[in-house]
Amino acid sequence: MSADERRPWLLLLPALLTLLVFAVAFAMFVSVSLRTQVAGSAVFAGAATFGNYRAALASPAVQDAAWNTVRLAGEMTLLTALLGYPLAYVVARSPSPLFRRGVLFGLVLTLLSGGVTRAYAWLVLLGNRGLVNQALAAIGLPTVRLVHNETGVVIGVVHFLLPFFVLTLLAALRGIPVALEDAARNLGASRWRAFVHVFLPLSIPGLIAAASLSFAGALSAFLFPELLGGGRVRMAANLIYERIVTDYNLPRVAAMAALFLVLALAALAMLAILQRALARRFAPAAEAA
Amino acid sequence: MSIRAAPPYSAAVALCAWLVMLFVLLPVAFIALYAFNDTAYLALPPRGLTLHWFANFFANTRFRDALLSSLVIAFAVTPAALLVALPAAIALVRYRFPGRELVNVALMSPLVVPGVVVGISFLSLAAALGLGLGTSTLIVAMTCLAFPFALRALVANLHGLDPALEDAARNLGATRLRAFALVTLPQLKPGVLAGGIFVFVEAIDNFSTAVFLTNSRTTTLPVEAFSYIRDFDDPTVAAMAVLLMAFSAVLVLAIDRLVGLDRLLDLH
Repeated sequence: MSADERRPWLLLLPALLTLLVFAVAFAMFVSVSLRTQVAGSAVFAGAATFGNYRAALASPAVQDAAWNTVRLAGEMTLLTALLGYPLAYVVARSPSPLFRRGVLFGLVLTLLSGGVTRAYAWLVLLGNRGLVNQALAAIGLPTVRLVHNETGVVIGVVHFLLPFFVLTLLAALRGIPVALEDAARNLGASRWRAFVHVFLPLSIPGLIAAASLSFAGALSAFLFPELLGGGRVRMAANLIYERIVTDYNLPRVAAMAALFLVLALAALAMLAILQRALARRFAPAAEAA
Repeated sequence: MSIRAAPPYSAAVALCAWLVMLFVLLPVAFIALYAFNDTAYLALPPRGLTLHWFANFFANTRFRDALLSSLVIAFAVTPAALLVALPAAIALVRYRFPGRELVNVALMSPLVVPGVVVGISFLSLAAALGLGLGTSTLIVAMTCLAFPFALRALVANLHGLDPALEDAARNLGATRLRAFALVTLPQLKPGVLAGGIFVFVEAIDNFSTAVFLTNSRTTTLPVEAFSYIRDFDDPTVAAMAVLLMAFSAVLVLAIDRLVGLDRLLDLH
């Protein structure tokens, strides 16, 4: 290898070493998942076995959590997209730079203000004596249960995902030339037709990219279901945490976590394939247009 | 008068966007009110204003210790992540070498691993090596977890730069290092700033990995807040939230001043 060929690898060395630490932690975690915990101690013993995986796959709690995770992540992503798309669209096409800056400022501030802050805010807002229920009581309506159930968790996670979704989508929408819609309008298309036939198809790759990011975030949701679900909403991460706290059997929990990782990666790989297929379907059309 | 002055969407669509924005800002605005509210439960309208919950936050030794460890972790992780990411970003953008695409995917992979799985991994590593939990384990885990944020921002920033400028400096006799330090590095300010902020916020705010790596002696702010919320029902955590949000507001203003919020979109 010549000096010139070596240089990029030297530059990559610190990052690759950091990744190696990560990989070693992963290898440890997988090897722990194949062992058996000696009862009442922190010692792992016995030959490597898939027993922990078999037990996890057969457990109804694990099956429920896996299904809940995928179902809730799907619902959360769909809702995030439905709420986020109009906002991103209006910001991308707004004639007012002040509005654009205001929204950007609000989104980045919300994004940077962190998860714990927002989960706590929703807990108080949606609680039985929270703002929403006080308002309902004040106008004589019956109060509703908004926390310690899926409703609260979905509201919290959708709120958490929205800034990521809108900022990612917005970066893509800015690349769609306004001239294309203007041309459609000049040729007599209504606003709606120009949107559906020109803007929407061009925005599909960005939409899928932003939705994938949201889906990944929703799959690994942990703090929001933990706080807003009040023990009644169990996504995969919550089950893993609950098990480590209640019976600290690291090998068993590690096997569950490994299965969770496989589930998450499989779901994301499917989305990546979809994204590539849709990008091919819609991007050439953009050039033809 | 141009036709562009009329937006291509109807008033109803604009209203939807405003409502969504209201939903985004509602908890942020609410928590700020709640933190200054002088009753332990939410009274509307607030009966009076108080700084009691802020005093409560700083009087609580567990919160003080957690704040200190969170700051130590964030101030260690941010420069570490940037130092790891900067040379890697240069290699990925400025060089063509076999396996480049694979390396790129591998380096970004920590971003798609659920935080809980990262937590269990480092817990297994600590258990297998007989290491204790606490600040140093957290710093290592957070650096592994967060450096892709810095890498992504720096790669995006470098893609937008013209390598010809550095070539010109080298043709004029500057060494490779000098040309980089004097020509390219100053242009990387937006990427370093945006990447650094994302890493810093992740290091301060991370809960899902940190909760597995803290112990009774060392906790971080989110982990401590989580356990406080479960035990007490008063606005002390709201006061903490306001402090964190005020800090975020300073960061947003700094980004806007130094980089421009618009540019952040390309770096995110």
